[in-house]
Amino acid sequence: MPGLREVPDEPPPFLGTWQNVYGAVLIYLLLIISAAYAFTRAFE
Amino acid sequence: MSTIDWVVLFATLASIVAYGLYRSRGSNTVDRFLLAGKTMPWYAMALSIMATQASAVTFISTTGQSYVDGMRFVQFYFGLPIAMVLLCATVVPAFHRAKVFTAYEYLEQRFDSKTRVLASIIFLCQRGLSAGLTLYAPAIVLSAILGWPDRVTILLMGITVITYTSLGGVKAVTWSDVQQMCIIFFGLIAALLVVIHLLPQSVSFPDALYLAGAAGRLNAVTTRFDWNDRFTLWSGMIGGMFLFLSYFGCDQSQVQRYLTGSSIAQSRLSLLFNAVAKIPMQFFILFIGAMVFVFHVFVQPPILFEESEAARIQASGQYGAVHEHYAQAFDRRRQAAQDLVAAHHAHDAAAERQRVEQYRAAQHDLDGARDEAAKLVAGTGGDTGYDDTNFIFLSFVTRYLPVGLVGLIIAVMFAATMSASAGEINSLATVTMVDLYRRHFRRGATDHHYLLASRWATIFWGAYAIASAGLGRKLGSLIVAVNMMGSLFYGSLLGVFVLAFFFRSVRGTGAFVGMLAGEAVVFSAWHFTNISFLWFNVIGCAVVIVTAVATTHWFTPGQRART
Repeated sequence: MPGLREVPDEPPPFLGTWQNVYGAVLIYLLLIISAAYAFTRAFE
Repeated sequence: MSTIDWVVLFATLASIVAYGLYRSRGSNTVDRFLLAGKTMPWYAMALSIMATQASAVTFISTTGQSYVDGMRFVQFYFGLPIAMVLLCATVVPAFHRAKVFTAYEYLEQRFDSKTRVLASIIFLCQRGLSAGLTLYAPAIVLSAILGWPDRVTILLMGITVITYTSLGGVKAVTWSDVQQMCIIFFGLIAALLVVIHLLPQSVSFPDALYLAGAAGRLNAVTTRFDWNDRFTLWSGMIGGMFLFLSYFGCDQSQVQRYLTGSSIAQSRLSLLFNAVAKIPMQFFILFIGAMVFVFHVFVQPPILFEESEAARIQASGQYGAVHEHYAQAFDRRRQAAQDLVAAHHAHDAAAERQRVEQYRAAQHDLDGARDEAAKLVAGTGGDTGYDDTNFIFLSFVTRYLPVGLVGLIIAVMFAATMSASAGEINSLATVTMVDLYRRHFRRGATDHHYLLASRWATIFWGAYAIASAGLGRKLGSLIVAVNMMGSLFYGSLLGVFVLAFFFRSVRGTGAFVGMLAGEAVVFSAWHFTNISFLWFNVIGCAVVIVTAVATTHWFTPGQRART
């Protein structure tokens, strides 16, 4: 059975580096939790 | 269902299968059959990952959860973006560079054969147990609508999935998942718009939000810490993160989706798309359930949402009294809701406080009447601890949605089930063939032989899923049951991968003993304590790491001499 081919690594299509993309995702998480908390409090 | 609904349902399902098979042409070698020749773009993998995780259980059970318990379940997904970032930084490049078909193949490269076999068996146990549950969910759909036996539905769905998965492999699974997710998004948006449209004219959308919130149905975030509470910010962020690290990093049903990527960047993007999209999607589904709750504040719901059980309890001598209590409680709640909205519009804070209490008391009374009806189920020969959460959304769909949309929503349920089931069966077959058969039973055979073995393994696991599907009826809320089953095994799997990546001194025996200890502790915690299942992932992972490190320390002479 033949082996699998090597796949390349590439930079992300936006924000320059993968570290920046990861940081953006974590900031997004903070924002979405804050929004969900505000939503809960608003209709409590 | 009307003829139009049937046409919509079958046309949708036929197009999904045909499209999947059309896109899977050329899956005639093992690497194409199992990993699509590593050619998939990020968006196809992203939607396939989402579809594999979002089974019909997600739509049936999640909406029911928010109807009875509010939107707290969304917190379960708060750990997901953190898990995705960690996986993108570590696991994704490592698996690609190791050129593996399965996550467990990597464990042999890092540790030894016995660790790979044990991890493979743990995966087969866990995923094999939930494969039946995945097929069971649509059986609820059709049994609720048509009165068909569950078994017929399970068989029809299972055979369809086996057909396109065994013929087209992972490519058929992925491309049919893409189409399924598009249908699912469209169906969900349509369902929410119709629910809001069906609210009484005197109730505006802000009023609906206000009533849902006053009844505790918009409680998306709970900040208090409680070990025994399943859904809090903390259990979601910590326990959920561990669960998703395990699920997306160690569960072949997900790993196989992103191993098909044409580059490491494409695989990363597919996971990060899920990191961003999953919480809003779950919020949206839960919100539909909350709006169905508000709809039923004004339109009396059935005393039990499962028609066959509602019919059965009518034979009970106590039914008349229970039903009368239920009808009165519903009228009191409707009146309390109208009074509350009026006080809210009048900006009368004192009256509003008083009427909120009346509304909540009326809700409590109504819940009590439903509990009495549930007890009648056991008294008339049904299940004890009866729970109809999974029937709430379907009951609403079939009674109140317009012609055509009913067929589409039912197609959404089928599409979701087929995508999740296909992913499971495909991954179970891959692990069986690659990690057990090719490694231990038949080494050095031709590519054609392994391709055939993969197809037969697919058929075997599909048949197993069909046979074990009946277990679902005994498990209450299906979404919780599925995640609880996963949590019994995922902690140990995660622990061994953490060891592989971050504890370079640990060897095969330590990892193997650690996994056994992790499973023993998690099963003990499940059996003897009331700890919420999300914490099992943390506990299992910690026990594996501590045991493996201790074993390595005490049983490796070189290590002991150095300390």
